Amino acid sequence: MGMRISNEQAEAAAEHAANSINERFGGSDVQATVEHHNNAYKMAFTRVVAPPQHWVAVAKHLRFDLGVNYCSMVTGTHYPEGGAERGWEVVYHFLRQPVVDQKPHTHTVHVAEQLNGADVPLEVEAVVSLPQGENPTVPSIQDIWVGADWNEKETWDLVGIQFEGHDNMHRVLNPHDSPDGFHPLQKQHKIRYHDFNEMYDDAQGFLRKPTDEGRVK
Amino acid sequence: MAQMWITMGPQHPMTHGLWTLRVKVDGETVVDTEAELGYIHRGVEKIAEARDFTQITPYCDRLCYVSAMTWANSYIYAAEDLLEVEVPERAEYVRLIAAECQRLASHLMWLGAYGPDIGSLTLMTWCMRDREMFLDLLQELGGSRMHYNFPRVGGIKRDIPIGFADRLIAKTKLFEHRIDEYEMMLDESTIWLVRLQGVGYANAEEMVNAGVSGPNVRAAGVNYDVRWAHPYSVYDQVDWEPAVEKPTSVKGADCYDRYRVRMEEMRQSCRMILDAIEKIPGGKNTNYAKGDKMILTKAPSRAPEGATGFSNYECTRGASQFYIQGGGDSRGKNPYRLSIRSPMFITIPYVAKTMIGYKVADIPAIMGSFDPCIGETDR
Repeated sequence: MGMRISNEQAEAAAEHAANSINERFGGSDVQATVEHHNNAYKMAFTRVVAPPQHWVAVAKHLRFDLGVNYCSMVTGTHYPEGGAERGWEVVYHFLRQPVVDQKPHTHTVHVAEQLNGADVPLEVEAVVSLPQGENPTVPSIQDIWVGADWNEKETWDLVGIQFEGHDNMHRVLNPHDSPDGFHPLQKQHKIRYHDFNEMYDDAQGFLRKPTDEGRVK
Repeated sequence: MAQMWITMGPQHPMTHGLWTLRVKVDGETVVDTEAELGYIHRGVEKIAEARDFTQITPYCDRLCYVSAMTWANSYIYAAEDLLEVEVPERAEYVRLIAAECQRLASHLMWLGAYGPDIGSLTLMTWCMRDREMFLDLLQELGGSRMHYNFPRVGGIKRDIPIGFADRLIAKTKLFEHRIDEYEMMLDESTIWLVRLQGVGYANAEEMVNAGVSGPNVRAAGVNYDVRWAHPYSVYDQVDWEPAVEKPTSVKGADCYDRYRVRMEEMRQSCRMILDAIEKIPGGKNTNYAKGDKMILTKAPSRAPEGATGFSNYECTRGASQFYIQGGGDSRGKNPYRLSIRSPMFITIPYVAKTMIGYKVADIPAIMGSFDPCIGETDR
């Protein structure tokens, strides 16, 4: 029979992580809360809201004190109408995975129900808001998780958020000769839905192009 | 000897798609590598900002052309998290069966492409023959051979047809025997063993730190699997256990371990399918009408600003993740931002670095054993 991490285990792990962060960073602007997903299982996860100046300290705490060993995702978002304090937002997703190096000819078989403490898989969402401006900058966490390297490259390439201290930053998905400052997921680059009539009348898109404002190329 | 850079790709049999691996060689030894991606970047994340939540599903199908069902499901779970929908249990079972059929088809495509990499062209024809069985089954569900557009926010497009269960059971049982045939052919082939064993070592902790996931990590000896660690479907109700392989060296898993773990994973998928079709609520030979309460819950079409949805899904190549922020155009019908995490986008640069120190002739064996797919890498 299949197994799974129970809601109580996930809840306890998320609560422990949130308490640990709040204890360590009490008094600063760092806030950690326990949140729940809204689909069938309602699993708990930890959400951390950190200002950019404290972000590296929080990341190190996650990695070295809480054992969060997996940086899965970095998402940048542009909020041109988000107010002075929230022009840009970087959302990180981390996982804690009970994975350790194996001796030859051995393997670890975890039984979900028997896991406890730091072995329980944990999901962490970290939100870093950046002020409005031309050059949103957040410190890089490439040194803490190797997996953040290409995620940060992609976020800079598509959204234009700069990662301070990132080594070897370059275009990964856009052409390497894209003009400086062209980051297609910024909101001034408009995209709209063309319905099928429009597509039939103008399959080549010649008439459409001038209305696509903000195109750099 | 002088060192030089050679470029493998974008058109090279090793690449399994369109990307470039630049290799610095010293004689026959690889000294340095560099991966270049982005050849088929289509901007799905931007396109999704101008589509509503149902319209995004076909784009997610096309993220990976050998594993469309798992990618569409992965997106749907994030959309359901965002829109606060609970799915009827029968729909969850059908999704599970469909996703596992797709996993079989995808692993067969991997094995079929890996054979020619190693030099065994026969393997391709064998795997294509068996993959066709599962594509036929998926066609019965989704109506199309490769891009199904099958899951809906809140359920599935249509129920399993009458007679589907019998065909599914017959084909899955037949395929269980075929796995034994493959193993007999490959595990006793000297060429296969010589090319795979002792090549492409990767450590478990190092892989996790670098962001590698899924079967590639399980090959190094830990049964960490998203399906139990971050549960999302009815995987706790059906009979299975994660495939895990014992690595043979302190250096971690080699190409042979990664081949073994995928064969084992195919067995587990068969086991899951056979169990799930018997346990499906509402009966396996019933066909509910389109939109019936058994297979589809009515879902809201708008998400408020500030709402977020996240899904972590065991795709065939590792953990695929979607993160959606609500409150976009058309008064919340569109996502404000949709972000996709592709397991292969992270894995390919890592694999490129593990090749250092091996021979040029080992590159196809190492690259192929990680199962690259460029559709999802470039998005």
